[in-house]
Amino acid sequence: MTGTDQLSAVFSALADPTRRAILADLAERDATVTELTAPLSISMPAVSRHLKVLQHATLISRSRSGKWRASHLEAAPLREAADWIERYRKFWDTSLTRLDAHLAAVQAAERAANATAGTVGMSTTSDQER
Amino acid sequence: MQEESRKIDISRVLDAPRSLVYQAFTDPDHFVAWWGPIGNSLPRDEVEFDVRPGGHQRWTEVSASDPDIRVHVRVDLTEVVDGEVIDGLMRVAGHLPGGFEPFDTRVRVEFFDEEVGRTRLEIRQWLPGHLAGPSEGGWRQGFAKLDAALAIIRGGATDNRERE
Repeated sequence: MTGTDQLSAVFSALADPTRRAILADLAERDATVTELTAPLSISMPAVSRHLKVLQHATLISRSRSGKWRASHLEAAPLREAADWIERYRKFWDTSLTRLDAHLAAVQAAERAANATAGTVGMSTTSDQER
Repeated sequence: MQEESRKIDISRVLDAPRSLVYQAFTDPDHFVAWWGPIGNSLPRDEVEFDVRPGGHQRWTEVSASDPDIRVHVRVDLTEVVDGEVIDGLMRVAGHLPGGFEPFDTRVRVEFFDEEVGRTRLEIRQWLPGHLAGPSEGGWRQGFAKLDAALAIIRGGATDNRERE
């Protein structure tokens, strides 16, 4: 899946409250379908269907060992959106720091120019150097 | 509340008068001097600004480490108030670093006077629409869900199953 498709799958998977409840459960521990069904008011086959959706969105992975097929929370797809935010926070932080320096340089140049203009004919040039 | 979960909010006070800070965002000669990230360069002849409501700002970012990485940015300006507001949809295309796909993101910059000739910038940037599906409703809903899910991952709130 491309990044965009995957994110769409992630969001549609997260749109369902039962699936979010399952994810919340899996955030604490890996669990089997039986364990995941216990606190919910729906059937085990229904839980299985939800797990398939979550697996397709790669929000969870499921081990295949023996009859205890445990589901495991995979955080990576959600991190993609979080990474995007983080990336742009850094971008702004860096850019604004450069902007600050740029504005300081521009104003210093202006002040120097004004000082020079205001002291024409006077011999105080050494004061105006940066 | 949902509104807050889907955008970046930045506030920064700069030691310069508002007119100059506004100029830094709207005059190409100023803009190329500071727009990041570090290492990127903005070829001056590829910067074209037409700053007014319905106008645009266009530039190219060239990566210093890999000149093949050229990011084409075009901002379609929706709201422009001289010295106060620049708001528009930023369309980012081209060969993007980090494997990012082209995306659109709304960016709003507001300029406010602060004490002794300083300026406070309020910047908001919205997550790309494709992250949450096509409709505005889907967007809002999607980010509420993302918020909940991120809370789960952080382990901070494992019990927000049905808080809508």
